[in-house]
Amino acid sequence: MDGTETPQALASDLAAVARRLRQSTVEVRAMERAIGSGIIWGGEGLIVTCAHVLRGDGRASGAPMVRLADGRLLRAAVLACDRRADLAVVRVDAQDLPAASIGDSDCLRAGELVLAFGHPWGLVGAVVTGVVHAASGPEAPTGSPWIRADLRLAPGHSGGPMTDARGRVVGVNTMIAGGLALAVPSRVAGALVERCRAR
Amino acid sequence: MQTLVSLSNDLASAVERAARAVVTVHARPRLPSTGIVWRSGLVVTAEHTVRLESDLRVTWTDGQSAPATLVARDPGTDLAVLRVVESGRPAAELGDSGALRTGHLALAVGYGPRASWGVISATGGAWRTWRGGDVDRLLRVDLVLYPGFSGGPLVDASGAVVGLVTSGLSRQLELAVPATTVSRVVDELVSRGRVSRGYLGVGLQPVALTEAFKRLAPGAGLGLMVVSLEPEGPAARAGLLLGDVLTALEGTPLHDPGDVTAAIAGRPVDSNVRVSLIRGGSPLDVSVTVGERPSRKR
Repeated sequence: MDGTETPQALASDLAAVARRLRQSTVEVRAMERAIGSGIIWGGEGLIVTCAHVLRGDGRASGAPMVRLADGRLLRAAVLACDRRADLAVVRVDAQDLPAASIGDSDCLRAGELVLAFGHPWGLVGAVVTGVVHAASGPEAPTGSPWIRADLRLAPGHSGGPMTDARGRVVGVNTMIAGGLALAVPSRVAGALVERCRAR
Repeated sequence: MQTLVSLSNDLASAVERAARAVVTVHARPRLPSTGIVWRSGLVVTAEHTVRLESDLRVTWTDGQSAPATLVARDPGTDLAVLRVVESGRPAAELGDSGALRTGHLALAVGYGPRASWGVISATGGAWRTWRGGDVDRLLRVDLVLYPGFSGGPLVDASGAVVGLVTSGLSRQLELAVPATTVSRVVDELVSRGRVSRGYLGVGLQPVALTEAFKRLAPGAGLGLMVVSLEPEGPAARAGLLLGDVLTALEGTPLHDPGDVTAAIAGRPVDSNVRVSLIRGGSPLDVSVTVGERPSRKR
């Protein structure tokens, strides 16, 4: 392998994935101060985020606001808030949003690259890289309901996408435990979105 | 996109390849540690994680488990060797730890298997651990050693095992024992049951030499005064006395008690070493037969 071409190709790949995912990552604000992230899921204005970003059930505390990557600030309506899974689905009144592509959270291999997007400490559009800590999915021996990644999350990443090397969303960043980043699998988030659509 | 995806696949394959020789070591209460099948039937782990002497078990990543017995341990390099009855399991595929350079991608694999990634953050020459063991090469890694990772393999991007990670050799730094050192220590532990180290049995205190002393020992740096003597130790048997001031070892001037430890530890037991010293105002050469360092009481 050539000594300089590969790192350059890696860097441009990484930049391409980051550019695409930033378009699909939004800032979610609830109750003035709480800032988290969200993922544009499908074309009908649906956004997936974490329930704890909305605080409470998300209804009593007033409508959350969503800031898109292009700067638009939109009022969102809460469609679903599952505090046990730490997931929420909100809808904004916009149809033309750049949806994230969704990957398969059930076939992650330990050691494969993952990227996380969001707004850590309010820093917009940040990307962090890491690897899958332990395989997850129905056949994995670990039995963890979360995707665990050797990757550094910070407050503000919550609700943002965790993706594979192709930039496909495999999880929703939810918390840090024992130095590991935990994400709700995209399969769980996808099922909640489907329930919202069915209603 | 293809380069990033192929790197991702390579890393996952590297973890899979290394994980075939990774076991869970149940050798202490509560938190297990990680072990590597170094050779057929021999598992290496971090010595500080082996707290039980009997009823040891190892578990492969497929869930199969086998009893293990402790062969021997070397606290100096924080390595312990276990024997498992289970045969037919693949041993670790070893890579060239000497070829590692600062900045190389590296993975640590813990039981499970679980992965942690980073880079080789520094390399250096041979060094001695705080527990007195000799390590062929300094390998400092920039990756997180999660609980239970000690004893697991340090893996290069191809999945070859280039070292063993442990938190037992430094409080602050993430370090790995290079594969060459692990192989050497495993050989010694299996054949002799211990890693023998040369030993004089003296306690030394650095002292500044006066001009008169410097005339007696030309080229000497500091003097090292004998402040304690192990009874019946190698130095005592050779006739060294409290108050002797050591100036050179085999003609090499001494500057620090560590110089003596470094020179003696690597010498074969029962070899003779010429110690230059000053006693009662006159220089003197004494031949000392190097003894073997007694093993630490646990």
